[in-house]
Amino acid sequence: MNLATESADYIGLANAPILWILAMAVMGVVVVQSLIYMTAVKKNAESAGMSQTEVRSAFRAGGVAAIGPSLSVVLVAIALLPLFGTPPVVVRVGLIGSAATEVASASLAAGTMGANLGDETFTRGVFIVALMAMSLSGAGWMISTLILTPIFKRSSHKLEKVNPALMSIIPGAALLAAFAALTFRELPKSPTHVIAVIVSAVVMSICLLLAKMLKLNWLKEWGLGFSLLIGLVAAYFAHYAGLGLPEA
Amino acid sequence: MSSIITSPSHAAFERTTSRWGSITLFIGFLIATSVPFYLLFVADANIDVGQILKGFLAVFAVYGVFYIVEPLTYFPILGPAGMYQAFMIGNVANKLLPSAIVAQDTIGAKPGTRKGEYAATMAICGAAIIHVASMVIFVGILGTWLVALIPEPITLVAKLYILPAILGGVTVQLIASLKQLKSTLIALGMAALVILVLVRLLPVLAPGDVAIVVFLTILITWFTRSKSVTDKKAGGDGTETVGIN
Repeated sequence: MNLATESADYIGLANAPILWILAMAVMGVVVVQSLIYMTAVKKNAESAGMSQTEVRSAFRAGGVAAIGPSLSVVLVAIALLPLFGTPPVVVRVGLIGSAATEVASASLAAGTMGANLGDETFTRGVFIVALMAMSLSGAGWMISTLILTPIFKRSSHKLEKVNPALMSIIPGAALLAAFAALTFRELPKSPTHVIAVIVSAVVMSICLLLAKMLKLNWLKEWGLGFSLLIGLVAAYFAHYAGLGLPEA
Repeated sequence: MSSIITSPSHAAFERTTSRWGSITLFIGFLIATSVPFYLLFVADANIDVGQILKGFLAVFAVYGVFYIVEPLTYFPILGPAGMYQAFMIGNVANKLLPSAIVAQDTIGAKPGTRKGEYAATMAICGAAIIHVASMVIFVGILGTWLVALIPEPITLVAKLYILPAILGGVTVQLIASLKQLKSTLIALGMAALVILVLVRLLPVLAPGDVAIVVFLTILITWFTRSKSVTDKKAGGDGTETVGIN
């Protein structure tokens, strides 16, 4: 992807102090929510036969597992900085949505004004329309979650009453299905995508095998980081060997 | 036990997370949405409502379906508490769910059990803290300095191949952690069938592909379950309710 001309005239505006405050406030809200949830788990863990040690292990495992994915998201987010300015990138990529969704949305919205991301047609006006469209779209996900979650909750409680076994089957099956589908969706994209999936899967298998044989529990937590990193290195060589997507 | 005010219970957990989860999500929504409005009012860029509407509709046409489909797909996995976290932070498939899977695998808790749900919640909190720290430090503070430092080819590879490089590993860990051979085979079979065949024949279904796979897998797993194993009330002998088979 190409980046904006250095001196796009809206960048100063996009880095306004008020926007920095809003961006930090958004990150603050995520932290507050997490603290409330952690307290709720700690207080009630006993009722699920979960010890405080297990509560802490789960927190640590989740954090460690998120390091690799977070750093790769950072890499992509940084590439967007010259285009959108820092606070908008923190808000858009840091909240609902991912770097990929946001770039696609911005490019769609810019298209309606006959402009392209990253060249001289991407003016102040286009920038604001694009950011507005991205934000409203993100809001769509949030609002529909606020409306739908209580409805889903009521119906799942009802289902649970009809047949308690249902709730012991659905989450596992849904999780397997979701990840099988997400993974298969990557395969037709290019040979490099196939290589990234396979290398990552093989590295994880090796990590889990070693973790089991040598009783290295930490390897279960770090496995995802290794798989991601080695998968990306393999993708790097495959991509520049000409097996990748033509640069979009 | 030591707590005098309220005794530990799942109901208390659900009450707290539903109330505060939705309040924090709503506040996040307000602040995030105020960013472009602020720019709109101070920028004096000559934009009218029609242009904004047109821009939004172009995005809505592509992503609108997902506002409904994604919550529907992830609810059975995340439960009500996790929904408010996931749809605030985003990055569900590439960050939050992988973290939950790793944590459940690490402490040996199964999805669909309370312990599994609590483990997932703690894991998502851990992931959220790392997420915020990485955004604030590496994007917010060091970003403009790093952008000149990282070679373009590396950024490009990260952008194109993050998702496959995460999904391969996570899917393996998930399969290893759940140990449900039959559901695994059903899920892989349905995914191959829907993604590689059905969506090719009927491209209209593409936005709902994951949801279709999830729905079919649940359906088939449910109707082929061995009732003697799963339909016992409050799993007598085991300490945890194992999903299926």
